[in-house]
Amino acid sequence: MPSGSAVVLWSIVAVIPAGVGAFLGVDRLGAARRQGARAGAAERALGWANASAAGLMLGVAYAVLAEGTALSPLGGTLGAAIGVTLVHLLGLVAGSAEGGAPREGPRRGAARVVTASALHSAAEGIAIGAAAALAPEFGLFLVLTFAIHNVSEGAVLGSALAAGDRQAVSAAGAAMGARTGQPLLAGLTLLAIGVLPALQPWALGVAFGALVYLVLSELLPSSYHQTGRTSIAVMVSVAAGIVALLGGRAVR
Amino acid sequence: MSETWRVFVYALATALATGVGALPFVLVRDLSDRVIAASNAIAAGLMLGASLGLVAEGARHGGWQTFLGVNVGIGFILLTQKLLGGHDPDVGAFRGAGARRMLLMVVVMTVHSFAEGAAVGVSFGGGMALATAITVAIAVHNVPEGLAISAVLRPQGVSVLGCVGWSVFSSLPQPLMAVPAFLFVERVAVALPYGLGFAAGAMIFMVLVELLPEAYEQERARRVALLTGLTLAGMLLFQQYV
Repeated sequence: MPSGSAVVLWSIVAVIPAGVGAFLGVDRLGAARRQGARAGAAERALGWANASAAGLMLGVAYAVLAEGTALSPLGGTLGAAIGVTLVHLLGLVAGSAEGGAPREGPRRGAARVVTASALHSAAEGIAIGAAAALAPEFGLFLVLTFAIHNVSEGAVLGSALAAGDRQAVSAAGAAMGARTGQPLLAGLTLLAIGVLPALQPWALGVAFGALVYLVLSELLPSSYHQTGRTSIAVMVSVAAGIVALLGGRAVR
Repeated sequence: MSETWRVFVYALATALATGVGALPFVLVRDLSDRVIAASNAIAAGLMLGASLGLVAEGARHGGWQTFLGVNVGIGFILLTQKLLGGHDPDVGAFRGAGARRMLLMVVVMTVHSFAEGAAVGVSFGGGMALATAITVAIAVHNVPEGLAISAVLRPQGVSVLGCVGWSVFSSLPQPLMAVPAFLFVERVAVALPYGLGFAAGAMIFMVLVELLPEAYEQERARRVALLTGLTLAGMLLFQQYV
């Protein structure tokens, strides 16, 4: 099994699927959105992409919380509250618009999605670092899950960038650039826990709170705008259930 | 008091808590959409927290069984939605769109109360600490549900007492469902993770299909996320130390 540092290195590789997703987002979804006849189908595909990303993030969040509260009930749960508040304040400072704001222009919409993606990747990085410090297998499981989720998140980002007339290759670069926070924060978190192991449950709690906040503030509102709430609810809950189940096994 | 009676009394208390949601209408005729949205966001956080507690307890008894139960719970709510979708009835003296909305609200709340009643019942199978946490969570969560029901009924001319009555009525399946659910998991111990998963799945699905979309319609997404996230964290903390 890999060491904690190797898991962080793997998380660099996990950024690449975001570029692939963004390329496809511009090339396929962005083009389809501009064609009246296929625009509805493209919107639904984006809604499901957002929903699958939300489900994967919630499943990871549950697995991370379970480990955090097992180490320290107070650290895990208060860390969750800190994570929620921290990302909310960061969002206010970054000035990103509301998820799925209907009247924003294409450039503002693209900037919002890139900012949201950067925030997501930072929260995911904390989760990966804290999980890798706990058990490398658990960290690797998170890296794999986020790699899959990066495809759908990259596709959403690519589609938003296509509306602002970005080319597919440039969008892929932007998507990967926005997600560099993931390996960076993973490394920093692993380092911090190595120096101060008592941070472990707090870091897991913060990761849980941040992931849940981002799902609630960005992914879910966007997906509800794009397609029906029942199909979104089914996809989110089933994806979250599968990841939570497998995540619990990865750490044992 | 026997354990069965205790389950009934706890679940009855959660049903009565729904009536508390009608009380603000003694002072005002109407509540703003933002207040209703905030109530929905808080209720979503409470229900998600309670559901995570149920899933964690279920996973201790069997991960796959809990996962299967979660999916059956989702299927249950999907089925009830489908069965309710085609109905278009009148309610006594109330007719038209308002009456349809009134009945739909009461019926939806009543049907999903079955899942919450099952949650209270099966949580007793996981010990008193879990049962107390889930009962308090559902009781507190029922208050904004009563608020939501009354917010629809009161502008239609229903009295405050009527709002209290309909709110409590919508949660009566909770004591009725809690006892058989408890007896079932008590006698068939192997059913416990399925039951816990079922209740969690039904509640999570209700949050995703009803509470959150309605909150987003009336309030900014970031505020909904903050309220729901902090309530969820508070509920998790409560469950750790109850």
